[in-house]
Amino acid sequence: MKRRELKAFAYIAPALVMALLFSYLPLIRSFISSFLTISQSGQIRGFAGFGNYIRLFSDDAFIRSIGHTIIFTLLFVPLNTVLTTAAAALTRRKRKMSPVAEFIFLSPMAVSLSAYAIVFSEMFRGRISIINRMFSTDIAWLESPGTAMLVLVILGVFLDFGIDYILLLSAFRSIDKDVIDAARLDGAGPMQSLFLIELPMIKPMLSATVFMAIKDALLISAPVMVLTEGGPFRSTETVMYYYYLEAFRSGNRAVESTIATLSVSISIAAMAAISLRRRHARKDF
Amino acid sequence: MLARISRFILTLLLCIIIAFPLFYCISMSFFTNIDFTDAYAHFLPSHPVLDNFRTALQNRYYPRFIINSLLTSALTAIGRTLITVMAAFAFTHIRFRFRQILLIALLGTMFIPPDALLYPNYRTIAGLGLIDTYAAIILPSLFSASALLLMISSFVSAGQEYYDAARIDGAKDSVYIAKILCPMAGSVVFTLFLQAFISSFNSYLWPLLVTNRNSMRTVQVGITMLGFADGGEYGAQFAAITIIVLPFLIILGLGRKRLSEYLSGEIRL
Repeated sequence: MKRRELKAFAYIAPALVMALLFSYLPLIRSFISSFLTISQSGQIRGFAGFGNYIRLFSDDAFIRSIGHTIIFTLLFVPLNTVLTTAAAALTRRKRKMSPVAEFIFLSPMAVSLSAYAIVFSEMFRGRISIINRMFSTDIAWLESPGTAMLVLVILGVFLDFGIDYILLLSAFRSIDKDVIDAARLDGAGPMQSLFLIELPMIKPMLSATVFMAIKDALLISAPVMVLTEGGPFRSTETVMYYYYLEAFRSGNRAVESTIATLSVSISIAAMAAISLRRRHARKDF
Repeated sequence: MLARISRFILTLLLCIIIAFPLFYCISMSFFTNIDFTDAYAHFLPSHPVLDNFRTALQNRYYPRFIINSLLTSALTAIGRTLITVMAAFAFTHIRFRFRQILLIALLGTMFIPPDALLYPNYRTIAGLGLIDTYAAIILPSLFSASALLLMISSFVSAGQEYYDAARIDGAKDSVYIAKILCPMAGSVVFTLFLQAFISSFNSYLWPLLVTNRNSMRTVQVGITMLGFADGGEYGAQFAAITIIVLPFLIILGLGRKRLSEYLSGEIRL
């Protein structure tokens, strides 16, 4: 082996060690463990086949957590997509006031999950909440199952808003001006231009943000942890929150390794779908 | 005209919705306790006070939380930048065996969500005896596949000719990287550094899991446990949040233009 080659390996060694230590080895470990029977103290008791998976899917709490995750995803993805696309579309042309609006739409990027969660729990706290005052409602938002899920969805939208907004805004602004001018000359109004020309043109970015939103939604755990802790009555317990509870509170190795294996598979499938779509989109042009 | 008005109203409405939680947080950081316990919810403090900021800063742990966060974020950003620059340099400037496979293996980690591997990673850190150390907080986020991808694509455009010239002049790789390559890709290197810093500063779940002692908590974990509300000091909680959010808002305001240019560059990859 040449000296230059050795050098190259030395340069990539730290990255490789990190990727192995914190991505590939734990992944392989989870995958193998998911087919074994392992005691709480970590001793291998034997081969389990698909036993762990079968047990997982016959656990009511897990099935319910799938339901909650799906409800969250079905609410979150459309709301997030519509709001971020609307914000990007409204500010896509540079105007006098657009820097202000742009800054406001970006500002969620500066606020962390725990900060938003604390503010949200105050905004929706009890019956004397600012939200109730604004909308003249009388709802204890975080204390009943349906509304708690709704607050969680809104929190999710705020967490992803900034990054999705700027990705869509950049996509809008990288459209060739000539195309838009040509459409205008042909008599297309601003709405027609937006819906018939510009939105179809940013479709690759739009579908990328939708897929990212789906992936984030299916894997949601930390916002649940800080805002609702799965409550009320375990109504906001999502799959990854259930994973967290089982792995860290109950030390349940079977549940932990099977969920890890399943969620990595789903994530890989989602990412593969994105890259396939992108390749497809490139072919179109 | 109608279209313009409806566009303005929609933009305004959306701005109000998006800005509201942040506005309300800043407003609450000036509340007195009576504003919190009143019979109706206040939008603005009845008379603004600075006491909450004093209470927050005088808290036994809060300043320590901030220092922990700043240190771990800075170390993460420095470490990630170094690791990424080194690897990207090797991939773009040196031909070696298994290059393609190693690159795919490294970029492939993008497909693996770290949240699904919390437990085995926790076991690794615990096995190394690193619980309650900065290393525990930093280590898993040192390598980022998306950072590597961006760095490689900016180094590719830097051009091989400079490297060949530098080697003929007898310059070491480290000199070439520090003096020529990084300055040429300056804005990407800087953006990656900043992004690593911010994402590390704002991370919640991992630091929560690997720290137990109060003195090792990062601020994102810490602010959920300050317990001001238990002591009847509701406003201090929001003052503590306002203090950590404001610097990032300022950075965002200053870097807004650069950010969108950088991101639109990423899209064309």
